[in-house]
Amino acid sequence: MSNKLLILLIEDEVPIRNFMSAILNSKGYRVIAAGSGKEGLSMITSHCPDLILLDLGLPDIDGIEVVKKVRSWSGTPILVVSARGQEREKVEALDLGVDDYITKPFGTSELLARIRTALRHSNRTNGENLMEPKELRIGDLTIDYTKRLIKVKEKEVHLTPIEYKIMMILVKNLGKVLTYQYIINEIWGPYMEENQTLRVNMANIRRKIEENLAEPKYIITEVGVGYRMVDERVD
Amino acid sequence: MIRPEHDRLTQGTESDKNEKGRLKIYFGYAAGVGKTYAMLDDARELQKHGVDVVIGYIESHTRPETLQLLKELPVLPRKAEKYQNVELTEFDIDGALKRKPQLIIIDNLSHTNMPGARNKKRYQDVEELLNAGIDVVTSMSVQHLESLKDVVENITGIKVRDTVPDNIFEYADQIELVDIEPEELLFRLRTGKVFKEEQADKITQHYFTKENLRILRELAMRKAADRISHDNQKESHSSEKMSNSKLLVCISSSPTSAKSIRWASRMAESMHAPWVAVYIDKEESIFDREEQKKALQANMELAEQLGAEVVTLNGYDVAITISEYARLSGITNIVIGKSRNRKTIKNFFEMDLEDKLISLMPNIEVHIIPNSNILRYYKKPWKISFLNQSFSWRDSIITSVLLIGASGLSLFQKILNIEEHNVILIFILSVLIISRVTKGYFYGIFASIISVIMYNYIFAKPYFAFTPLRKENYITFLIMLLVALITSAVTIRAKTQAIYAVDRERRTEILYEINKKLLVTRGLENIVQLTNEYITKIFSRSAIIYTEDPDKGGAGSIMAVNEDIKYMDTDFERQVAHWVYVNQKRAGAGTDTFSQAVAFYMPVLSQGNVLGVIGLSCLNKNYLTQNNRSFLRMIASQVAMALERQRLSDEQRLILIQREKEKMRSNLLRAISHDLRTPLTSILGASSTILENSETIEKETQNKLLSNIKEESQWLIRMVENLLSVTRISEETSEVKKTPEAVEEIVAEAISRIRKRFKDSNINVQVPKELLFVPMDGILIEQVLINLIENGMKHSSENPTIDVVVKKDKDFAIFEVSDNGSGIKEENFSCLLESYVPNRKHSSDSSRGMGIGLSICMSIVKAHGGKMEFENKQGGGAVFRFTLPLDGEKNNVK
Repeated sequence: MSNKLLILLIEDEVPIRNFMSAILNSKGYRVIAAGSGKEGLSMITSHCPDLILLDLGLPDIDGIEVVKKVRSWSGTPILVVSARGQEREKVEALDLGVDDYITKPFGTSELLARIRTALRHSNRTNGENLMEPKELRIGDLTIDYTKRLIKVKEKEVHLTPIEYKIMMILVKNLGKVLTYQYIINEIWGPYMEENQTLRVNMANIRRKIEENLAEPKYIITEVGVGYRMVDERVD
Repeated sequence: MIRPEHDRLTQGTESDKNEKGRLKIYFGYAAGVGKTYAMLDDARELQKHGVDVVIGYIESHTRPETLQLLKELPVLPRKAEKYQNVELTEFDIDGALKRKPQLIIIDNLSHTNMPGARNKKRYQDVEELLNAGIDVVTSMSVQHLESLKDVVENITGIKVRDTVPDNIFEYADQIELVDIEPEELLFRLRTGKVFKEEQADKITQHYFTKENLRILRELAMRKAADRISHDNQKESHSSEKMSNSKLLVCISSSPTSAKSIRWASRMAESMHAPWVAVYIDKEESIFDREEQKKALQANMELAEQLGAEVVTLNGYDVAITISEYARLSGITNIVIGKSRNRKTIKNFFEMDLEDKLISLMPNIEVHIIPNSNILRYYKKPWKISFLNQSFSWRDSIITSVLLIGASGLSLFQKILNIEEHNVILIFILSVLIISRVTKGYFYGIFASIISVIMYNYIFAKPYFAFTPLRKENYITFLIMLLVALITSAVTIRAKTQAIYAVDRERRTEILYEINKKLLVTRGLENIVQLTNEYITKIFSRSAIIYTEDPDKGGAGSIMAVNEDIKYMDTDFERQVAHWVYVNQKRAGAGTDTFSQAVAFYMPVLSQGNVLGVIGLSCLNKNYLTQNNRSFLRMIASQVAMALERQRLSDEQRLILIQREKEKMRSNLLRAISHDLRTPLTSILGASSTILENSETIEKETQNKLLSNIKEESQWLIRMVENLLSVTRISEETSEVKKTPEAVEEIVAEAISRIRKRFKDSNINVQVPKELLFVPMDGILIEQVLINLIENGMKHSSENPTIDVVVKKDKDFAIFEVSDNGSGIKEENFSCLLESYVPNRKHSSDSSRGMGIGLSICMSIVKAHGGKMEFENKQGGGAVFRFTLPLDGEKNNVK
């Protein structure tokens, strides 16, 4: 019982809360639920959950406010549940330190995968990279950290330094959405406003590693938000 | 008890489109019949019934009954003004407009305001009040009617100075005739009830004779009766003047024309016919004196005021010109004034104008109005024209050269000993040439005198000596003089005709040019700009054009030719323009209203609506002539047409947009109500079945029902997403917020979303090798692609293969989604993208909602400024294609 991970679900819609609790319970998570932002915040302090599932549209306070408050003192992974078409809110939440987001309506498998990813990330950062792997394989893509080499189907791909940097950032956050602004900050610093350069670079990377541009296998675009590197590691 | 007509008067009727006030006139045949009393009495009655009545102006009365009534009603304070050191009180028009009562009482409609007041006449104040939506009750006597002025003058011998134009009288919604027996009126007068006693005697002697009063009474009653019959006709016909007669009145600069004009106006009114006042501009009018010009202007204004159309024609022969015009414009009656001719020899030979007219147009009735009072008839002596002529070096030189030439030729002839009588012919020829090529009469006459002297001196025996003139010399001189005069006259006529022709031609050309340019000009600003350019060019004055009410912040478009524009852009001038805008009448410099303004303002009217106001600077009293005004009016009417057209097309566009939006919205609603009901019903049914029969139902059936629920909900979600996407399109502009997006990313996302639902679908995608940025709302275009791909899947029942191709073509990105299905049915082609559900019977179940999907795609693409089309592929399947503009920016980055 005690080694079960605790998930706090902050969601005002009872039906959604019900079915999400049901899924998570069945998958071996412990679930506590809050119907409002304030209730959620107090439960975070009292229960110290391993992960927070947060609906952005709450009746009392804005979900963004909840994120801000939590992030001011805790690094607990937060997974935001939002509706489609709220790109601005998503980006804001991500930039505030939310780990990932999932768009309503979502399938159960998608939800579970995101939860796993988020938990793994938090473990990695908490566990201080105990076992840094030498290389990473996703499908036909191989990234060799030590040699700073990237291979597709065992064929070496030549990336420019900036392209390599972008790749590294994405790889480090495998399976997680990175906003344009986040990537830009990491590479060019905070004073770069436009994201055209990043897109051009990304287009170039894609042309080097992807087979079909229209159906990318490795780097997925989240329209209006940012990029995500798929987390389908071949170990 | 309140009378029904008062009800109408205060409440207005449905026909009151512009919410104008209603006018009621208490009409009497003389002062003292009790108009004021009746008016006040009714006002009190109305006030008792809760109508907001205010007394605007009542003449001071001493009658106790009237004074009693006055006490009971609220009185608007008068405006006190000093005029020539005398303190005068006047009706306060601004105060009344500010107070804005329901109904205002203003005595004596014919009153002339003090100089310096905004309006010259009180009836103009009243018009303003009516325009402001205030009902006005007023009074007037019959002798103050403009068209009856002459008649009253004839009867009573008293000149009426203050008159009211007949159209005010006609405009009045109600006329109440106030009448008493003349005997009683005279009794009232004698007892000092009307005027103070010392006044009474004087007036009674001259004016208030029993005889006069009877005739005036008859006039008043007849006028009132005319109005009633007029009203009756109005009701049966349309308000347009429908009569098939049309009157023409000839006017001149003679002050006696006014009589003809008034007569014609009365006549036209009784016949309910339109009428035209025609002025024939003869060449001699160049030599008209200043007062003649003024008199002419006054006549034209009078005619216009009385409702005539004023036309100026150019021509030498008055009768022919008039007959030509009459024939062309369908005139049935001609009115001309005639003074008794003095018997002269000229009269003996020349036909009178009226005789000539009758002989030219036997079918037209000619009315001759005698001018009883022969006033100073402006003599147009030839002396004026003779002396008016300025000295010209050119003409003098020509004259001298020709005369010397003629002399030389004659001398030469004499040397050759050719017969003497040719000499005379040579001189006559020279006189003829001189008259032809010089301006005016002077040189011709001068040349003929010189010629006779020369002939006498050089060529007549004894040579080189003056001899007393012989008989034949007189005849020679006379012939030469006649030749000179006739030739000069012909020349002058031809020249002036040419000038007029050129002038007319120029105007026609300008009008045509303006018309042509206006036709191709689009946009309010451009029209105004063009008009301004032309007006300033034609009149060489600064112009200002307002297309909105200047009072409501409509800034005028100004075109300056000189610095006087700074006088035109003042608050006062704007106020004048505002007045013109509201009252739909000309005002400003040279008119009766706001005559102290710098500029002359004319409304641009179209079908009773003011579309704008044109102002022309008249700084330093440089007023526009009647001719210029009518030309300006012609231009204004052209501009009105252009503005109206612009307004209509703007409106139409707005309506079109509105309709488009409306259509989309109603389509959506219709679709939603229909399409949401079906899946919701099945979800409800399936879930309740499971809940209620969980014990009895088989596991397999249960699963089937559950998967049904799942499918239907997925469908619902897609539908809702579609609907949500519409809300991203701006309500106001029907546009979207565009940001440059990489096409491949958008396509990829769309495909991945489709793949989630159709796991093993066959989709081939082709995106440009080079990165292509397209300005768009990524989410929306993704939605379009998803909808189109889904649509393709649905219509290819077995083994669907979808091809998605994105290409760049010049300034557009082309997106193409094609399937290998059954294609689009012929009958659905036309309406497929227009409205939801091409064929209700089929689509209601099988492909439900795709109609919405497509129409949403359509509006999304349209909102991006793109186009959408579709066609059937050869060998089966349909292609949906849409384009998005690249906006010509460097969106294509390598």
